[in-house]
Amino acid sequence: MIRLSPARRASLQRLGLPLFVVFSAAVIVLGKADGTLFEALRNSAADTAAPMLGAVSRPIASLSRLADGVKDWVAVYRDNARLTQENSLLLQWQAAALNLEAENKRLRGLLRLVPSGATSYVTARVIANSGGAYVRSLMIDAGRRDGVAPGQAVETGAGLVGRITEAGEQTARVLLTSDLNSNIPVFIEGRREVRAILSGDNTERPYLRFYPARAGIRIGDRIVTSGVGGLFPPRLPVGVVAGFEGKLARVEPYADASQAAYLRVVDYGRAAPPAPTAAARGSAAGVAPPSVGGL
Amino acid sequence: MAFNAFLTPAAPRADSAAARLLPIATTMLAALLSILALPIPGYAALTPAFTLMAVYHWTIYRPDLLPAASLFAIGFAVDLIAGAPLGVTSLLLLLTRALVLSFRRSFRNRRFPFVWAGFAVLTGVAMPFLWALNSLLDMTLLESRTTLFRAALTVSVFPAASFLLGRTQRALMAGG
Repeated sequence: MIRLSPARRASLQRLGLPLFVVFSAAVIVLGKADGTLFEALRNSAADTAAPMLGAVSRPIASLSRLADGVKDWVAVYRDNARLTQENSLLLQWQAAALNLEAENKRLRGLLRLVPSGATSYVTARVIANSGGAYVRSLMIDAGRRDGVAPGQAVETGAGLVGRITEAGEQTARVLLTSDLNSNIPVFIEGRREVRAILSGDNTERPYLRFYPARAGIRIGDRIVTSGVGGLFPPRLPVGVVAGFEGKLARVEPYADASQAAYLRVVDYGRAAPPAPTAAARGSAAGVAPPSVGGL
Repeated sequence: MAFNAFLTPAAPRADSAAARLLPIATTMLAALLSILALPIPGYAALTPAFTLMAVYHWTIYRPDLLPAASLFAIGFAVDLIAGAPLGVTSLLLLLTRALVLSFRRSFRNRRFPFVWAGFAVLTGVAMPFLWALNSLLDMTLLESRTTLFRAALTVSVFPAASFLLGRTQRALMAGG
């Protein structure tokens, strides 16, 4: 360390503070003017920090698993009763689903529907909740080398969580559906199926926009991805209409992103050869899907 | 300028290298803590501003060991990794330093409630500032209730953070 006289050091410190304040302000303005300016830097910073973040988040995850384990022990009897009941109900649903799948296949055959792109999944661990108070995003420990690319859908087992916005070599950033900048094409499965856009506004519940005025949306209507735009697989469950705020329909997501330790990135249609995929996408966007469509 | 008089560094002490690094290290740790994924519902939005606590503490007691350059670097790294608008955290930490330095003499050797009240005032200025800056950057009025909760949570967690920081400081540093 360089030893400076107290007076010199004081003057240096005095100069440093305003200088860095101006510098920070300049960075903010630059970043706002050109959003891609720092993208490469961001990705490499994320890749550099990933091992550390991963290492620190691991014990936290196991602690929370431990707590869950204890809770599960306490609830084991009640859960067993509930699950037995649920299982008999689900068996009925399974039979219904199998019937529908067979029917669906037959109808697809009749229609000569071009199969949409093959879907593959990448499962990744959440290593940072990031974003802070004003950006709803997560960081996962899978990146370009695992086939993750910007635009891909991200889900838990329960439903859609968000989409990839930036992909580094071994990390990627997931913009949650609740973020201000998140807009996702969806279907509202009401009495009539209508298209809408699901937009976030940094609250826990995103809201619906751009649907027909007389769509007749009701509380409890299911929201699924429409696949319009081609990057998202169609029919990915998103959430249910949970309530109205004035005229604004709020959607309660099926997936709780803040609780998820692992997320699944959906690579839709990338694995298929390019030409038929483009055709499939066109037809998928043009043809109104059957109301009980398979995935 | 009011705070020029307080910028003269404290008298040289016999601090070990580890002690000299303590302010930067704990501030980095606080930053790391605020971007980790904890499995608590709503944690991402409500994470207490740990970094603000560390900067407040060290700027009162040892501003010479947490210089402006380190605040800029830490803020910049946080924004990079967290995917937040770049420069915002740096600016916040630097302005915190400027603000605390200008009132520093009133805080030294005071009882804890006074220091806590000072932090409450700082949070009361810093959180609305963050909200306004982010609203400006997004060109919309952002939802403000979360900011309020976050400020309240930050102020109520401060005693614990202050205790931990004070303990490590006393353990590792000569004088204080």
